[in-house]
Amino acid sequence: MKVLAIASAKGGVGKTTVTANLATALSHAGHPVLVADLDPQNALRLHFGLEPSAIDGISRATLAGTPWRASCARSERGVAVLPYGVVNEDDRDLFESHLAAHPHWLRDHLAHLGMVRHAIVLIDTPPGPSVYLRQALAAADMALLVTLPDAASFATLPMMETLVDSYTAGSDDYRGHLHLINQADASRQLSADVAQVMRGQFGERFVGAVHRDQAVAEALAYDQSVFDYSIDSQAAADLMEVAKTVHARLSAGTQAP
Amino acid sequence: MTSQDNFQVPQRSLRQRLFTSMTDVVNLRLWDHRIARFIAGIFGVFLFVLVFTVPLDFWGQVIFAAVSFGCALLLRKVPGRLPTLTMIVFSLTASLRYIYWRITETTGFEGFVDTFFGTGLVLAELYALTVLLLGYFQTAWPLERKPLPMPANNTVWPTVDVLIPTYNEPLEVVRQTVYTAMGLDWPGDKLKVFVLDDGRREEFRLFCEEVGVGYITRDNNRHAKAGNINAALELTHGDLVAIFDCDHVPTRSFLQVCMGWFLKDEKLAMLQTPHFFFSPDPFEKNLQTFRAIPNEGELFYGLVQDGNDLWNATFFCGSCALIRREPLMAIGGMATETVTEDAHTALKLNRLGWNTAYLAIPQAAGLATESLAGHVGQRIRWARGMAQICRIDNPLLGKGLKFGQRLCYLNAMLHFFYGAPRLIFMTAPLAYLFFGAQVFQATALMIAAFALPHLLHAGITNSRMQGRFRHSFWNEVYESVLAWYILRPTITAFINPRLGKFNVTAKGGVIDKSYFDWNIARPYVILVLLSLIGIGVGFWRVAVGDFQREQYTTLAINLIWTTYNIVMLSAAIAVASESRQVRKTPRVIASLRASVSLADGRVLACRTEDFSQTGLGLALNSDVKVELGEKLYVSIYRDQDEASFPCEVVFRRGNKLGVHFEELTTIQQVALAQMTFARADLWAQNWGRGERDTPLKALGGVLRIGARGFGIFFTNAWGMLRTTQRPSMPRLTRFKRRPGTTLKTGD
Repeated sequence: MKVLAIASAKGGVGKTTVTANLATALSHAGHPVLVADLDPQNALRLHFGLEPSAIDGISRATLAGTPWRASCARSERGVAVLPYGVVNEDDRDLFESHLAAHPHWLRDHLAHLGMVRHAIVLIDTPPGPSVYLRQALAAADMALLVTLPDAASFATLPMMETLVDSYTAGSDDYRGHLHLINQADASRQLSADVAQVMRGQFGERFVGAVHRDQAVAEALAYDQSVFDYSIDSQAAADLMEVAKTVHARLSAGTQAP
Repeated sequence: MTSQDNFQVPQRSLRQRLFTSMTDVVNLRLWDHRIARFIAGIFGVFLFVLVFTVPLDFWGQVIFAAVSFGCALLLRKVPGRLPTLTMIVFSLTASLRYIYWRITETTGFEGFVDTFFGTGLVLAELYALTVLLLGYFQTAWPLERKPLPMPANNTVWPTVDVLIPTYNEPLEVVRQTVYTAMGLDWPGDKLKVFVLDDGRREEFRLFCEEVGVGYITRDNNRHAKAGNINAALELTHGDLVAIFDCDHVPTRSFLQVCMGWFLKDEKLAMLQTPHFFFSPDPFEKNLQTFRAIPNEGELFYGLVQDGNDLWNATFFCGSCALIRREPLMAIGGMATETVTEDAHTALKLNRLGWNTAYLAIPQAAGLATESLAGHVGQRIRWARGMAQICRIDNPLLGKGLKFGQRLCYLNAMLHFFYGAPRLIFMTAPLAYLFFGAQVFQATALMIAAFALPHLLHAGITNSRMQGRFRHSFWNEVYESVLAWYILRPTITAFINPRLGKFNVTAKGGVIDKSYFDWNIARPYVILVLLSLIGIGVGFWRVAVGDFQREQYTTLAINLIWTTYNIVMLSAAIAVASESRQVRKTPRVIASLRASVSLADGRVLACRTEDFSQTGLGLALNSDVKVELGEKLYVSIYRDQDEASFPCEVVFRRGNKLGVHFEELTTIQQVALAQMTFARADLWAQNWGRGERDTPLKALGGVLRIGARGFGIFFTNAWGMLRTTQRPSMPRLTRFKRRPGTTLKTGD
């Protein structure tokens, strides 16, 4: 089992969308994939066409002490989905203090799911520092940092790297982080420049860019994956390419600094 | 079955035994001694002379020829260089037997007519034989040099000046070359680009200033391109100079690929790469053979230069080459004595003991001359220049050259004297048909028994050696077109090398209307008319009983020969039929990864079908709704790099889209050049991978083209009789007279 945490310093970079599409692309490529939503927004399930009124999820299962398998839904796209679940404010505080008290909560639960060896787990996290990100990184083999090709996002990258390093310090399994640009647009000079700088700066750890493409948003609106909605779209092509690269990095065991 | 099996076993072991014993002989220590080798050589030559001089009667010769040819046909199937060399020996035997017999047995001419035409034909045959022999020598063992990798430590990499001479070419042509030269994959502080503008145009100066490359002019135009480069050599200081004609666009890998040999071989002065054209030359355009049949230049760049390289006799071709500054300065810069300064410069370098090299990997591409008149003009210059070198700096004479080098240069020069021999071959059978001239004092059957093996061996041997770069019978087509035009310049230059003008070849133009270039075609038209009359006369003389029955074979040979000539001349006529060329910037067929950003925010992955400086053809995966005139962005990718360009939709059908680039910024233009013309593998991947020659198929192709030309001849015959001065036709003359395009070289 390989675990990849998806993280970003800022909100609104399309992290959840990337997680969902990447999971679908990996699943299309024939890998068994599980996505776990550690973001209280509980939005990841919507990308997989799960019932919006369903309230089950990791948070409720943890508080109730029931097994995770019961909250796990298998989407039509072949990806197993663990939603965050719907909880009230008090329960969320309780849940979060539980996580703070048990740093290996996620890792242990994932291990107990009994996944096949070559399964891939993607974990969506809320932006910035949080107890969720800490849990995700403690369980992860690698992290994927999603950035927009603009000045504000680029400026937060060092902060994010420091944060990831401090969260993963002492973790034996963790093998470094990867970088992804979301919503790239080469017709804008800034976007092209940021992509070039990141490629130069991160080398192998830069796994590619996903184009800003209306097809991605439209696919969600039509309740389809971008691959079903518009296989010709550049974003679909990018995501498949990124999925291939991410899988290669995850399985190669490359020691990233 | 059993008897066959029984037979095969000993045969195989015999072959093995033969092979081992041959290897043993080759590996004898004896051959380490010079004298042993010399004696063996003398003995071999003696045997060989015996083989081609021994007289045989008709049946003897037929049997000998049949056995030789049978062996050659068997060898043709065996891959490798040894079989090729053996085929050459068979071909040499057949040809030398023929020419020995021809001179000793068939030249007892009687009377003026026989002597005149007969001697002319023998001389033409001697020329053809010499060029055949030298050609074998030159191309028997192509070196096939591979690029050497550069050392990782780039502090030892030399500095390079890229020189781009221009005179009257439009800025849009030069721009592309400058952009790609700027993007050459080389340390920025070791690369300088200079535009050498003999036109001294303000527009060019501003452009160079804007993009940040050097701009060099001089106050005169002495010695044209050579002088232009020499003036720039005074002002620049790089360890090496890379020279590109302003319409030759280098790929980004040019220096990386070419430089390695300069580091390895300190005596290497010049390394040439092929001239590759992404637009069809007039032959390819007017005969529709682009990329289907190797063009005129491919033999030279595919095989001849590679063969020259073995003998350290590669010559400089004026562009797409890298030259070390020190030796170039040592010979006084580019040679200025002739109109082919490039070949002469290499000759001078070789004479001083420097090496020259060839790398058969296209690392640049350019525009081919667009019209036949322009093409002919360029060939005239080459022919004239080679004749000049032959006179003033003959490679057989003078110091500093090895024997192999002398022969390679000699062949390069002799090659351009094919004008007179070709015309003699075109008219020789007419001498018989019109005047009854006996150019052979032998029976038709004897002629066939000696001449056919000579022609057939040469045909299959050349087809094997050149098959990837020249198809059978096409040499005749190319020479037929040019023979008349290079005849006079070569003779003039040979008599007085100081007479000579330098024509700049105009490129990248538009032929807005298809037309027939009577001016160029006139000699072929006249020769076809003569041949047709000749055939008529032949039949008429049979009808009136002028020929005896025993002369019928001779008559038949001459009629077949004349028909063959008509085919070649008709093909030449077909070439003169200029087809429309509407695009100023030709499209390059290439499937590159791309994407289209539509106005509604969707981005579609697709591939290019072709690109040009001004636009792209795109193939999407499905039909797409876009309007003509819609503005959108198109990205082109190279590995992980992406560059995006504003475009307007100008064509749409189904999933095919044609877009024109909008106004591009300098940065975008450089990026476009990098993403398209400068791609490293763009030209190299198809080099020499065309269809191999099969002589019969090639003959079929030439016959078809001949038939088409014959049709053109008849449909336009009336037009030619009516007028010979159509105003739009004589491009060559117009071209020469325009004062701006003609430079005197000696001044």
